[in-house]
Amino acid sequence: MNPLLQHDQQLLARIGLAQIKARERARQGRQFRLALRFMAPALLLVTALLLLPVLYNIWLSFTQWQLFEGRDEFAGWENYHQLWSSPYFDDALGNTALWVVASVLFPLTAGLGLALLFRQMPGQEWFKSIIFLPRILAPTAVGVMWYYVYAPQGMLNQMLGQFTSMPVETGWLFEEQLVTPAIILTFVWQSCGLVMVLLLLGLAALPRDPLDAARMDGARPWQVFRHITLPLLAPTLLMVVILSVLAGFTVFDLLWVMGANYPQQRTLSLAVFMYFEAFQKNSWAFAAATAVVIGGVVLAVTWLQTLLQARVDRMVR
Amino acid sequence: MQNLTSQQANWLALPPPASPPRWGKALCGLAIALLWLLPFSYVLLAIFKSTAEYAASPPLSLPEGVSPLLENIRMAWEQGDMAQAMLNSSLYAAVGASLAVLLAAMAAYPLARMQFRHRNLWFLLLFAGTVFPFQMYLIPLFFGFQWAELLDTHLGMCLLYTAICIPFPVLVLRNYMQNLSLEIDQAARLDGASEFTLFWRIILPNLRGPMSAVFLLQFTWIWNDMLFSSVLGNSPDTRSIMNALLVFQGSYAQSGPNIMLTAAVLASLPTLLLFVLLRRQFMQGLRV
Repeated sequence: MNPLLQHDQQLLARIGLAQIKARERARQGRQFRLALRFMAPALLLVTALLLLPVLYNIWLSFTQWQLFEGRDEFAGWENYHQLWSSPYFDDALGNTALWVVASVLFPLTAGLGLALLFRQMPGQEWFKSIIFLPRILAPTAVGVMWYYVYAPQGMLNQMLGQFTSMPVETGWLFEEQLVTPAIILTFVWQSCGLVMVLLLLGLAALPRDPLDAARMDGARPWQVFRHITLPLLAPTLLMVVILSVLAGFTVFDLLWVMGANYPQQRTLSLAVFMYFEAFQKNSWAFAAATAVVIGGVVLAVTWLQTLLQARVDRMVR
Repeated sequence: MQNLTSQQANWLALPPPASPPRWGKALCGLAIALLWLLPFSYVLLAIFKSTAEYAASPPLSLPEGVSPLLENIRMAWEQGDMAQAMLNSSLYAAVGASLAVLLAAMAAYPLARMQFRHRNLWFLLLFAGTVFPFQMYLIPLFFGFQWAELLDTHLGMCLLYTAICIPFPVLVLRNYMQNLSLEIDQAARLDGASEFTLFWRIILPNLRGPMSAVFLLQFTWIWNDMLFSSVLGNSPDTRSIMNALLVFQGSYAQSGPNIMLTAAVLASLPTLLLFVLLRRQFMQGLRV
C-alpha cells in the first residue's frame, strides 16, 4: 500500500476516534449535569449540615476557642495534650472501653441464644416482637422507665427483697460501683432484640445443604453449630459485632438520663464527657478535640469492618 | 467409635438423635418473654396509681382502681409541657422523614441508573454523612445555627433532621433501583418521557415498599431523638418530645414517679402504635 495513503488512513481513524471520544464526553457531561440536578438538594443539605461541620470541628480542635467571642488563634496539639493528661478523660476512656466490651459480649451471646431458641418455634413472631419491642422506644423513655425500676423503692429492690426475704434498699444508680453495670443491663435489655432479629435473618439465609449433610453424617447438634452454622454465619456476626461496638462506643442518651445523679457524671463515657465539656463548661475547643478522638475511633472501626468483611466473605465462599 | 455408630445410624437410616421435646423450648421462650415484659408491666401498673398510692404500695402490686390514670395524664401533659412538644416532634418527624426519603430517592436515581464520571465518588460523598458520630456535628452546628439565626427555630430543626436522615435512604434506595430492570427506562425514553417523568412516574411507584420502610425507620429515629433537640432547639417552643421528657425528669421534684412514667408512656405511644400496626414494614426496613 502507498505509505502516504496509509498515513492518511491512520489520520482519519484518529480523527474519527477523537470525534467518538468527544461525543462520548459530551454525552457524559450532559448526563452529569442532569444527574447533578437530581442530586443537588441532597448534596446541598448533606454538605452544609453534615460534612462542613465535621471539617469545622476538626479545625476547631486545633484552636483556643473558649466562649462566644472566640479566640480562634491556632493552638496546635495543645487541646489533645490537655485531653491526654486529664484524669476525667482517662476515666471516660476506661468506662467507654467497658461499655464497648459489654455491649458486644452480652447482646451477642443473648441475641444468638434467643435466635437459636426462637428459630422454628411455633408462635415465634410473637416472641420476636416482644424481645424487639424495647428497641422501638427512645433511649430517653427507656432511661426514665428504668430510673424507677432501679430506684431505692423500685421494682428491682422489691423483687430482690422477696427472694431474700430481707428488705433491700440499694440505690442502683447512686452507687459508684453499680451505676455502670446497671445502665449496661438496661442497654442489653434494649439492644438484644435488634441483634436477635439480624442474626435470625442471617440464619434464615444460610444454605441448607451443608447443615443437612452434617446431620446425615451423624454430627451432634453442638458439632453442627460449632463447625458449620457458626462459620457460615460469620459475615452476619461480624456486622452485628461492628454495630454493637459503634453503639457502645457512642452511647449517650441512656447515660445522660440515668446517670444524671452520679456526682462525676462526665466520667461516664466519652460522648457524655464531650457533651459536658462543650455545653455545660463551654470549653468548645477542648470538647471539639474529644469529638475528633471519638470520630477517629469510629472511622478506624468502620475501616476495619470493610477490611474484615471482604476477608470473611471470601472465607465463606 | 463415634464414627462407627454414626455410620451405622446412617446405614440404618435412623432418625437423628432425639431433640428435647418442643414444649420445653416453648416454655423457655415464654419465660424469657415474660422476663422481658417485666419492666413494662411495672410501668403499666404504675400509671394507674395516684402519687400517694404509688408511694404506699409495692411497685408490682395491682392498682386499686383505674381512675387515677386520667389525673396522671393531665398532670404529665400540663407539667411536662407535652402538647407543644408533641406538636414539634410530629412536625420534625413528618417533614424530616418524608423530605429526606424523597430527596434521597432523587439523589439515588442518577447514582443507580445514569452513566457519568466519578459516580461512586459522588455516592461516597453523600454516604459519608452516616460515617461520623453525632458528636462531631454538635459544636459546629451550634455555632452555625447561631450565626444563621436558626437556633431554637422549627425551620432549623427540620433542616437538620432532613439532612441527617438523607444518607441511609440513599444507600438503600440506590440498591433497590439498581435491581430494577433497565428495559423500562429504555421503553419510556423511546416514548419520549423526560428523565424527571421517568423518575416520578415509573421508578418511584416501583419503590413504594422500600421507601415506606426507610420512612418508618427515619420517622422513629427523629421522634426518638433527644440529643440534637437539646443542643439546637432547647427552648419550650421548639423542644422535641424526648427532650421535653428529659427536661421534665430534671424538674420532677414537684411530681411523683407515677406521673413521670405516665409522661414516658405518652411520649412513646405514637411510635409504639406505629410498630404494632406496621410491624412487617419495620422488619422489612431491617432486612435492607
